[in-house]
Amino acid sequence: MLRPFELAEPASVGEASALLARHGEAARLYAGGTELLLAMKEGLVHYDYLVNVKTIPGLGGLRRDGDGTLRIGAAATHRAVERDPVVREHFTALARMEADVANVRVRTVGTLGGNLCFAEPHADPGALLQVFDATVRLERAGRARTLPLEALFVGPFETCLEGDELLTEIAVPPLPPRSAAAYLKFGFLERPSVGVAVAVTVADGHFADARVAVGSVGPVPRRMREAEAVLREKAIAESPAALEEAGRLAARAADAVTDLHGSAEYKEHLVAVLLRRAFRQALASLGVREPS
Amino acid sequence: MAPETLAVVGRSVPRLDAREKVTGAARYVTDLALPEMVHARLWRSPVPHARLHGVGVERAAAAPGVLAVCTAADLPVRRLCYGPAYKDQPILADGVVRYAGEPVVAVVADTPAHAEAALPLLDVRFEELQAVTTAEAALAPDAPLIHGALDPAGHFRDLSGLRPIAGTNVCHHWHAERGDLAAAFAEADLVVDDAYHYPALSHHALEPHCVIARVEADGSFTVWTGTQHPFPVRRELAEIFDVPLARVQVIVPLIGGAFGGKCYTKIEPIAAALAARVRRPVRLALSLEESARTITRHAVTVRLKTAIRRDGTLLARECDVVLDTGAYADIGPRVATKAGYRAPGPYRIPHLRIDARCVYTHNVPAGAYRGYGVPQVTWASESQLDGIAERLGLDPLALRLRNLLKRGEEYVAGDTPMDGDLAEGLGAVARAVGWGVPDAPGRGQGLACAMKDGGGTHTVSMAVVRVHADGSVSLFAGTVEVGQGARTVLAQIAAETLGVPFETVVAVAPDTALTPYDHGTSASRSTTVMGLAVQAAARDAREQLLRLAADLLGTDPAALDLRGGRVVHGDRALSVAEVVRGHFGLVGGEVTGVGTFVPGAWSGSLGGATVFWETGMGAAEVEVDPDTGAVRIHKYVSAADVGTAINPRECAGQDEGAALQGLGPALFEARASEAGQLLNPGLIDYRLPTFLDLPDRFDTLLIENADGPGPFGSKGVGESGTFCAAPAIGNAIARATGVRLREVPMTPERVWRALQDARPKASAS
Amino acid sequence: MSDVAVAVTVNGERHELTVPPWETLLECLRDRLGLLGTKKSCDVQVCGACTVLLDEEPVSACTLLAFEARGRRLRTIEGLAEGDDLHPVQEAFVEHGALQCGFCTPGMIMATVALLQENPTPTPDEVKHYMRGNICRCTGYKSILEAILAASRRLAPGAETGRGA
Repeated sequence: MLRPFELAEPASVGEASALLARHGEAARLYAGGTELLLAMKEGLVHYDYLVNVKTIPGLGGLRRDGDGTLRIGAAATHRAVERDPVVREHFTALARMEADVANVRVRTVGTLGGNLCFAEPHADPGALLQVFDATVRLERAGRARTLPLEALFVGPFETCLEGDELLTEIAVPPLPPRSAAAYLKFGFLERPSVGVAVAVTVADGHFADARVAVGSVGPVPRRMREAEAVLREKAIAESPAALEEAGRLAARAADAVTDLHGSAEYKEHLVAVLLRRAFRQALASLGVREPS
Repeated sequence: MAPETLAVVGRSVPRLDAREKVTGAARYVTDLALPEMVHARLWRSPVPHARLHGVGVERAAAAPGVLAVCTAADLPVRRLCYGPAYKDQPILADGVVRYAGEPVVAVVADTPAHAEAALPLLDVRFEELQAVTTAEAALAPDAPLIHGALDPAGHFRDLSGLRPIAGTNVCHHWHAERGDLAAAFAEADLVVDDAYHYPALSHHALEPHCVIARVEADGSFTVWTGTQHPFPVRRELAEIFDVPLARVQVIVPLIGGAFGGKCYTKIEPIAAALAARVRRPVRLALSLEESARTITRHAVTVRLKTAIRRDGTLLARECDVVLDTGAYADIGPRVATKAGYRAPGPYRIPHLRIDARCVYTHNVPAGAYRGYGVPQVTWASESQLDGIAERLGLDPLALRLRNLLKRGEEYVAGDTPMDGDLAEGLGAVARAVGWGVPDAPGRGQGLACAMKDGGGTHTVSMAVVRVHADGSVSLFAGTVEVGQGARTVLAQIAAETLGVPFETVVAVAPDTALTPYDHGTSASRSTTVMGLAVQAAARDAREQLLRLAADLLGTDPAALDLRGGRVVHGDRALSVAEVVRGHFGLVGGEVTGVGTFVPGAWSGSLGGATVFWETGMGAAEVEVDPDTGAVRIHKYVSAADVGTAINPRECAGQDEGAALQGLGPALFEARASEAGQLLNPGLIDYRLPTFLDLPDRFDTLLIENADGPGPFGSKGVGESGTFCAAPAIGNAIARATGVRLREVPMTPERVWRALQDARPKASAS
Repeated sequence: MSDVAVAVTVNGERHELTVPPWETLLECLRDRLGLLGTKKSCDVQVCGACTVLLDEEPVSACTLLAFEARGRRLRTIEGLAEGDDLHPVQEAFVEHGALQCGFCTPGMIMATVALLQENPTPTPDEVKHYMRGNICRCTGYKSILEAILAASRRLAPGAETGRGA
């Protein structure tokens, strides 16, 4: 049962920032509430003020820039991303991932921005967006900054947002030509236990680029740069061995924790398995057959 | 199959409650409100074991809207403790807390929000004590004793032989043996001895526990509750408040699922005591998480030692069953007895020794759960059997067929002989899953078979059928509609027996002030036991109607037939309404039929004879992902011997639902606890089966030989579907991978670990 | 604390409400509007017993704040049948025995209506994926799946008995 709180509905980002500044830790941004309200109902957290970002004009939409970058407003719901024709065509892996977040009711109400800012460790979007090199725009009264998404996540339920700052936009650049992304998750509870995202660019029979991110396993979703380095410039003919090595490195770097979802050891193992499978899926979508 | 002469029995008529349920008009206890009603919330212990040093209630009592703050000492009751086996459970903790989540203080306020807001204002002073949170720890010689002297409830005949072991945490030890174990083990070609574990589960009926209690002006109690046992709850409340049974009225509307979690008394005494205290109707509605802290399924460890001949003939079995019953016994002792009784499985085993021990721990109390111990012991016995088949190089189906009890054979001397054809059912699921056809690469098939004594032990049901002056019929049966379709099926039996159209029968919801006595809605007993009472009541009414009609027609009752709501005599006919009105000469009057089912006199080791044998068979085809350990179920086929299906679709629905409910604990469902703290009370971390768990092929076979003791040859159904899922799947995994798990759920990680452990060490680097 | 003015259309009927910001849609529907068909169960958006349609999209009433319904249209289980005529989805649930205790049924039916509006001819796998957030503890889902596919056939364009969902 929710305890009483005051609702603030600012008309601009500046006004929202000022409200956050004024009420400090007694206030929290409210973007969909699918995570926040659960925590408040359970009594884990309480805020005297919820600041609704969804009524701020201009934060809801999705658009694609001239350079192909996808710009997702902070108030865009998972459903909006999942069903957007542009996303489905140009960011297929993102649309697929979004279509598999929680259940349809959560996706109807929950926002992608809210999901990222809540920083629940067992979540899908954080990992996949990182392999797109997504950035987030953080704004406060009179100032804005753009950070790589990776920098947003500080710890479980903890972001780098300043007290009076709000996320206003997620920018997802397009992958280079001859690239594909894939996200695979595994688990048997309501939330994912392990999520592995990859993006691969193929040129002349080798990996021109390879990106890997792992989510749900450790405290925060993370890019796995050592694993990427092993793959980059490798010939696809050598990929089985390289993927095995990359899997090992990603597993070690994933900072796995033991919890109800499973042991750290098992999750590390799954990271390697999913990494291999995700690459295979991405390559297949490019029409590239990985040697077995 | 039902004979063609039957009008409504054997037909899948739509449920009587279908329309109200699809339109949202159905009303459950959680939907009811009374004038002046107030709301209770509970402060629950955060620790599993503590001594209470007092409660500062002043701030909470002064909070907005609060009417009363009650500790155990503040409850206006004549006895504080209750329970169906022992009077061991206090309505609110009294001096000592015995599990994390135990209710300690109750707050009553004008709104739920006010009651909730007052809880943090309570100052509960307690000293945490060492907790014993596994059965193994509780059985240790130096384990602290969780209860002192036990006070048997004396409510049920089968529990008159409770055997606590003094000076230990064992609240009931059931023991049985026959034959010569030592000789049999010496003679055997193979002896297998291993142990299996089944964890505690949450029932998670979608409607959490809810009670509304009101004390009437004359001191009577009226209680609306979603209980499976209105009459035992009535008796419990009468004892708590020291009032006659006639002064307690328990009313049960529709229930949003139960599965045993609403058996016997749960939170009714708290609501009733608070209503007596504040003299206003009190509503106590739990959250789903609180329901998970109210009752669980027993975690069970089963050690089985089995002796067998090379040809596959079972010789002897030693069964040691240990059940963690939590802080209060609830119906645990009966679950222990039944688990022990059923542990050997549906086989001919000449030499047996069985010990079942029900052990107190500082965990949430464990009680009834669909199958009363069968899923736990079947997990062990049917898994071990496949292990034996593998060791002996025998086909698991052939091994079972060699040993299965035959129709008419006794399981235990003196108890009801086997009343069905086990081999027929097992053969049917084997054929349906494609047994004998070589497994596809990466796939494996598995079988299991189980039975339980069905219908409850020495239980009584009564029913009344009232035929009104317009020909419509009221059926008064205390069976609770938990979703199983009981109202519909009992109305079918009444309509068929009376000879009136099904549409004319109205089944009245259980109300202890109106409906006659019934033991309760459990043990798959309603179609058979209550069905017989309903049939007897309908026959009684029918005979009266025929006598009255004979008088009116000037003939002999034997010359008359009553069907389709008309009494036929040659080419003359009278409607039922014309008979009733003709007799009374008025537009009023009615014919009342009374029926009773009283069990036979035999009392063996269970305390009564088995009414019917509820048998279940399952067959699975699975595929295991060797990289992740994930198990995919391609096929699952379940069979239930229903004797005669009164309503085939509802029978199939019972079995399908039970089988899918069984897949949960087989693969992923379990309560996770650490040091007595439940880590997954709610549905974020406690996974229930979803649509995605529906196997690609999922079938139910109903075995119908009209050989049951119930009306029209029926037997009970509803629990058997849960028996076989875990071992059938475990056996299929073993066939697919060569590894056998001895603990459920068979989560991907457990399967993966077992695969890792089985890999030859040399190549495992 | 300042309440929020909410003008909302519920099952075709307009309501002008004033709700505290912390009131959930479930509390609003059940306690304020007396629409008791929408059920409270898990309270964490997993089980789907409280599924209602907000502008024809499925939401969990247990965790959606009531003020979010302002200016929008709500549909609950009470808004499906027209007089004595059941909605085709309701009919299919009755005919296929797709319910037992019935506590999940209103949410299950509302989710089905939303699914069939979005995807009038779903495959069994599409049904399972869409409906996985609606839990039934009783039926084992098979009969519900059959009912949903039957309702889809009935509602499909050209079906004789179909009427708009």
